[in-house]
Amino acid sequence: KPERAKSKGLRRNKTHVLSQEERVFFSRLLGTIMAHHNEDEGSIGTSMHGVTAREQVFSFSVQGEDDGPSSHTVRFDDPTAKFALPVDSEHRATAFKPFSFAKPHMRAFHLGWISFFTCFISTFAAAPLVPIIRDNLDLTKSDIGKAGVASVSGAIFSRLAMGAVCDLLGARYGTAFLLMLSAPTVFSISFVSDAGGYLSVRFMIGFCLATFVSCQYWTSVMFNGKIIGLVNGCAGGWGDMGGGVTQLLMPMVFHVIKLAGATPFTAWRIAFFIPGFLQVIMGILVLTLGQDLPDGNLSTLQKRGEVSKDKFTKVFWYAVLNYRTYVLFLLYGFSMGIEMTINNVISEYFFDRFQLELHTAGMIAASFGMANFFARPLGGYASDISARFFGMRGRLWTLWILQTSGGIFCVWLGRATSLPIAILSMMLFSVGVQAACGAIFGIVPFVSRRSLGLISGLTGAGGNFGSGLTQLIFFSSSRFHTADGLSLMGIMGMIFTLLVAFIHFPQWGSMFFGPTSDEKKSKEEHYYAAEWTEEEKRQGLHEGSLKFAENCRSERGRKAASDGSSPSTPPENGNPAHV
Amino acid sequence: MIQFSHGATKQRLFSDLEKGALDVTAKPSRQGVLDAGIDKLSITWKLSSTAKKQANFTTINVNLCYAPVSQVDRPWRRTENELFKDKTCPHKIITRAYNKSSQSFKYTLDRDILTGTYFVHTYAVDAKDYEVAFGQSTNEAKTTNLFSVQAISGRHKSLDIASVCFSVFSVLALLVFFVNGKRKAKLEQSK
Repeated sequence: KPERAKSKGLRRNKTHVLSQEERVFFSRLLGTIMAHHNEDEGSIGTSMHGVTAREQVFSFSVQGEDDGPSSHTVRFDDPTAKFALPVDSEHRATAFKPFSFAKPHMRAFHLGWISFFTCFISTFAAAPLVPIIRDNLDLTKSDIGKAGVASVSGAIFSRLAMGAVCDLLGARYGTAFLLMLSAPTVFSISFVSDAGGYLSVRFMIGFCLATFVSCQYWTSVMFNGKIIGLVNGCAGGWGDMGGGVTQLLMPMVFHVIKLAGATPFTAWRIAFFIPGFLQVIMGILVLTLGQDLPDGNLSTLQKRGEVSKDKFTKVFWYAVLNYRTYVLFLLYGFSMGIEMTINNVISEYFFDRFQLELHTAGMIAASFGMANFFARPLGGYASDISARFFGMRGRLWTLWILQTSGGIFCVWLGRATSLPIAILSMMLFSVGVQAACGAIFGIVPFVSRRSLGLISGLTGAGGNFGSGLTQLIFFSSSRFHTADGLSLMGIMGMIFTLLVAFIHFPQWGSMFFGPTSDEKKSKEEHYYAAEWTEEEKRQGLHEGSLKFAENCRSERGRKAASDGSSPSTPPENGNPAHV
Repeated sequence: MIQFSHGATKQRLFSDLEKGALDVTAKPSRQGVLDAGIDKLSITWKLSSTAKKQANFTTINVNLCYAPVSQVDRPWRRTENELFKDKTCPHKIITRAYNKSSQSFKYTLDRDILTGTYFVHTYAVDAKDYEVAFGQSTNEAKTTNLFSVQAISGRHKSLDIASVCFSVFSVLALLVFFVNGKRKAKLEQSK
């Protein structure tokens, strides 16, 4: 039977011998399917790559246009052929496959969020054990409250510094340094014998919450801007889950150690070794399995001169000048901040108010934090959906609705006197407040293009600040019963959430006002190019911002489609220097 | 788990009990702060001359209770008028049938007693196990005849050593990886 060299796969007769192109196409198709199962091999094929359809071929790079397979020719030395996921021109993944551990992208995602998860476990490990610890160390309510404030305060500074650390060392070393240098602080709980020691150790452990920044940084360099919202929402939410899991894990570990024969006052100290071990193990995994950037590790790439950076003073200046930075700082303080405060106080609250067993209180407290698994990504998703119809205004209203309902249910939780009502209100509260966290980070990428990394870090720090503030005011003294503290915190949260109305973009408007009528200022380009001086614009440094501006025209909502501009796409995070 | 009101239980108030029905004394075995699990208390109790309801007394419950100084800023140890909510007395010392004559008991402080300042308190309960009267080893303001206890710390030398070992391992492992990584990068560059 004659070989048809030009056939494009059309069935001209019943038996059809494949041409070279068709063989390449089918083998790659097969390879893509097989790649789902065997993704650890990253080896580049031989020169006969793909011909026999038995080699493992990995996905081709996404060119952006809808090119048919038959018109796609693959060069066998194409470096993108070695990635398990489809990648863009910067080698960032354009697909998100949560069940895969392929290197470097999905591996980085999993190592990142699990490291963050582990640090959440360590930071809040004391909370479910407070009824035991307060007896052992003779703590007063103020001691407990102050230690809670201390546990979240350290991260205010470490989160701010973490962006710079990742720029210098790469996300891999940044994460590993945090994990393995804070593991000794977790182990040192065995030395604590009074309130002062307890406070110091909780303060030092709290520094490791900066893994939030390193995790988001790592995913931002590994994943394309089209999917970064979902990826970051999952990484953030699943990491935050650690605050819930710890409420379940620590009482269980404590109970098992007691069964093994230890007295309660020794058992809780031994229990802390578990989070310590987890941190060391994760640190080693990050160092051995992780990779800074899709193409390799940072030190190698830096020496090749491939990574460029912006000036920190400029990035800082534009972040500080933008008033929205402060609004977001406060808003996150009353969503994430409240969430972290609850992680610290809720177990003890249920233990004391409803006379529950330690592990029962822990189980209830755990369900608060574990709702993060779906609640935070849900918030991000809701933000994206509302943007599709109403643009940025939709995002702002979504945020306000979610955060305010969180506040309402928090008030209800404080008022609840029966256990079922308390649990119900707590669950609704958790979804509201955690979805609000996701929704805030649906807005953060639009506030600035140049200073995105710093503003993300500042927003994250705001969460810790809010947590420290609410614990200090409501849960550190005997002025309020804990129940009243919860209700008052909910009210304070709702008041601060009104600040959402003040976020105004000249090109998109705000909750109550439309975009500015000024012809020039209502363009996205004007807003993002305003972050560069004339000199820098002349050098063409602002090109990335212009491209970004073009991509985010979808934030005008339905009007964008009728304007005939590019279809709805969330913006790209281009520069690896920005988180 | 949920607070059900057991009718009569809920209404029983401390203020309804007869005050000072029993004279109680508690003498520590030595001066200074007592050690949990080691030191002893000599406790005696007898019917007070002012008692009126002794016909109902069936059993005497002797408890160890927090003095106000140990309750400050600790709402989980709060004294409440409703008896079922009251958290003042965490430890049962002994329960004995009521006897008109003077009773005594030599109590070795339990190992799990917490650090704090205490006094001894006795409840006289009737046949239905309802409190009828009480007596305590201190005055009404709970300021006299108090004694302090120091609990076990829960710390162990072996735990301290394990903690140091693991910490050192963590830091060393990080340094080893870091130095190794830098060396590899240099080698690659020089290639």
